[in-house]
Amino acid sequence: MIRHLFTLIWNRKRSNFLLMAEILLSFFVLFVVSVLLVNNYYNYRQPMGFRSDNVWEFNINAGQDTVARRAKLRLLVQELQATPGVVAITGTSSNTPFSFSTMNTDEYRYQGKPVGGYTDRYDADDDMVKVLGLNVVDGRWFDRRDDAAGRRFPVIINQAFAERMFGNEAAVGKVLTNEKKDEEWHVVGVVEAYRSGSDFAANEPAIFHRKVLQDTSRFVQQQVPELLVRVQPGSGAVLEQQLVRKIKSVTKGWSANVNTLEENRRDKMKFLVTPLAALGLVGLFLIINVALGLFGVLWYNISQRKAEIGLRRALGATGNGISGQFLGEMLVVTTLGVLGGLVLAVQFPLLGVFGVASQIYVQAMVLATVLIFVLTAICALQPSRIAAGIQPAVSLREE
Amino acid sequence: MNSTTAPNNRFASPEIGLTTAPATAMLKLTDIEKVYQTKTIETVALNRVNLTINKGEFVSIMGPSGCGKSTLLSIMGLLDEPSSGQVEIAGRPVTAYSDKELAHLRNQKIGFVFQSYHLINDLSVLDNVELPLLYRSSVSGKERRQRAHAALDKVGLSARTNHFPSQLSGGQRQRVAIARALAGNPELILADEPTGNLDSVMGEEIMDLLMGLNRHDGVTIVMVTHDEQQALKTERVIRFFDGSQVS
Ligand SMILES: Nc1ncnc2c1ncn2[C@@H]1O[C@H](COP(=O)(O)OP(=O)(O)OP(=O)(O)O)[C@@H](O)[C@H]1O
Ligand SMILES: [Mg+2]
Repeated sequence: MIRHLFTLIWNRKRSNFLLMAEILLSFFVLFVVSVLLVNNYYNYRQPMGFRSDNVWEFNINAGQDTVARRAKLRLLVQELQATPGVVAITGTSSNTPFSFSTMNTDEYRYQGKPVGGYTDRYDADDDMVKVLGLNVVDGRWFDRRDDAAGRRFPVIINQAFAERMFGNEAAVGKVLTNEKKDEEWHVVGVVEAYRSGSDFAANEPAIFHRKVLQDTSRFVQQQVPELLVRVQPGSGAVLEQQLVRKIKSVTKGWSANVNTLEENRRDKMKFLVTPLAALGLVGLFLIINVALGLFGVLWYNISQRKAEIGLRRALGATGNGISGQFLGEMLVVTTLGVLGGLVLAVQFPLLGVFGVASQIYVQAMVLATVLIFVLTAICALQPSRIAAGIQPAVSLREE
Repeated sequence: MNSTTAPNNRFASPEIGLTTAPATAMLKLTDIEKVYQTKTIETVALNRVNLTINKGEFVSIMGPSGCGKSTLLSIMGLLDEPSSGQVEIAGRPVTAYSDKELAHLRNQKIGFVFQSYHLINDLSVLDNVELPLLYRSSVSGKERRQRAHAALDKVGLSARTNHFPSQLSGGQRQRVAIARALAGNPELILADEPTGNLDSVMGEEIMDLLMGLNRHDGVTIVMVTHDEQQALKTERVIRFFDGSQVS
C-alpha cells in the first residue's frame, strides 16, 4: 500500500508539487514565527538577575538651577535615606531597568581580544546591589575600597560577559583594556545576570562601572543621575508624596517624576508585546490562509477523484481504507514539504545569521514541524471523511 | 520453465457439462425495483425483476439501450442498492452485511467489468490491474505483480504493462478492464458489454477466455451483450425491455 501511495504521488507529481510547495512555504512561515516565540520564551525563562519590586525610580529635573548641583544632590540623597520607609538609594545612569535608554560599547579587550558584539554598560554605585538585589556570584560588589583604585577602574561584569571573554577561567582579578590600551579596568566581581531591558531581553554581556556621587573625577559636574529607591514593602502614596516634598524643599525648586519599576516593567512589556502580537496575528492570518488553501486543495482533489474513489470502493476498498489512503497521501506530501522546509531552515543555524542560539532554531524546527503536521491533519480530516463516505455507485456515474 | 506441463487446458472435458449436482443460487434477486429520481423526471430503470443466477452458470443479458442492463448489473455487483426488493448473495440478504463485509465480498468474490472501463488515469496498466489485489492483505507485492502480469497476458496486453490508459485505444482499455476483473480470481464475473469495443476476432478471443473460465474454473458469469452470436453461446439468455424481464 505504501508503494502504491508513492506511485500515485509520483504519477501526480505536478499537482502534488504545488501542494508540497505550499506546505514548504507555510512550514517556513511557521518556523520563523516559532523562532520568535521560542527565543522570547527562552529569554523569558532566564533569570532577570535583579528584583524590581518595591523599587521607585526618581527622575529628577534640576531645570535652570545650575548652582552647586553636586552638593545639593549629596544632601538630597542623605535626606531621602534618612526617611523612614526608605531601605536604600542608588544613583545610576539613565538606562535604568525597563527604560527605553541603552548604553553599549564594544571597547573592552582582554589580551587584545574583544567580547564579540556589544556590551551593555551601566553606571552604578556601592548601594545598587542593595536596591536591586543583584546576585553576586563571584568576587564582590563595589565598596569603599574602590575609592583608592587609582587609574585602574573597578568594574563588575555578568556571567554572560565572563563566559564569553574568559571561558572557564576565573573572571575576578582579570584586567580589561580598551583597544588603544590607554584605559584599564579591573574586574572585581561577577553578577549572575542583569537583564534590565525587559522580561524578553536576551542574557547578553553587561558591565557595571563605578560612579559614586562623591567621585568628582568621574561624574560630570552638571550630570544628575537617576535615583532608584528601595522602599519597605507596602509603602504607598504617603511615602511618595513625602519624598517628592523633600526633594523640593532640600533642593529649593527641583522637580521629580516618580514611577515604580513594576510600572515601567509593564509599560515596556506592553511596548514589546504589541508588535509581537501584531506579528503573531499576521502569522496566524497567514496560517489560516494556508490552512484554507490546503483545505480547498484537498477538497478539490477529492471531488476530482470521486470516480477513482467510487472505483476503489467497487473493487473492494473499505471506507476506512479510502480515508486512510487520503491521509497517507497527505502525510507523504507533507513530509516531503517539511523536509524541503527543513533544508531551508537549517541554513539559519549553519550560517548563524541572526545570532540566535542553534538550540533555539532546533526547537523552533521541531515546533514548526509538529504544527504543520497538526495543521495538515486538521485540514485533511474532513475531506478524507467525505471521501470515505463516497459509495461505489458513484463510479458508475462519474467519468 | 517446463514446457511439457500445460497449465491451462482450453477444451472442456465432457464430464463437467454432465454433472447433475443440485443448482445452488449464487445470486437471488426478488422483486427488484430501481427508480432514478431527478428534479424533472422519474425513471423506472428496473421494474419487479425476479432472477436467480446459479453457481457455475454463464448467463447473458440482452436488451435495447436504456432498458436497465447496467443498472441490474451494478445491483448484482453490490455497487448500488435497489429502490425496493431483495438481493441475496450466498443465501444471505445483502442488507444483512456490514459495509466492511460488502467491501470484502466485492473484493474477493466479484470481478466487475465496467461498460466504460473506469481505469485510473494516473496509474499504469499494471498498477490498474493490480488494484483489486491491493485490497487483499494476504497477497504480497510480488504475487500481486505476477497475477496482474498473468491476467494481462490472457487478454493479450503483456506488451503494454507500463503504458498509461490515455496511451491506449478503446479496445485496449476494455481489455485492461477485463484483466483487472480477472486478476482477483473471482467466483463471479459481472461483465458489462466486455466485447463492445473489440473487433470480431478479439471479441471471439475474449468470449473464449470467459467460457474457459466458466467451464474449467467454475466461475459464474453474467454478461451484458448486444451480440446475438455471443449470447447464443451462453447457457441462458435473459432479455430485458424497458426495465422488465421479457424472457
Ligand atoms: N444515475 C442515473 N440517474 C438517472 N437516470 C439514470 C441513471 N442511471 C441510469 N439512468 C436511467 O436508467 C435507465 C437504464 O439505464 P442503464 O444504464 O441501466 O441502461 P442500459 O440498459 O445499460 O443501456 P445501454 O445498453 O445503453 O448501456 C436509462 O433510461 C437511464 O437514463
Ligand atoms: Mg449499459
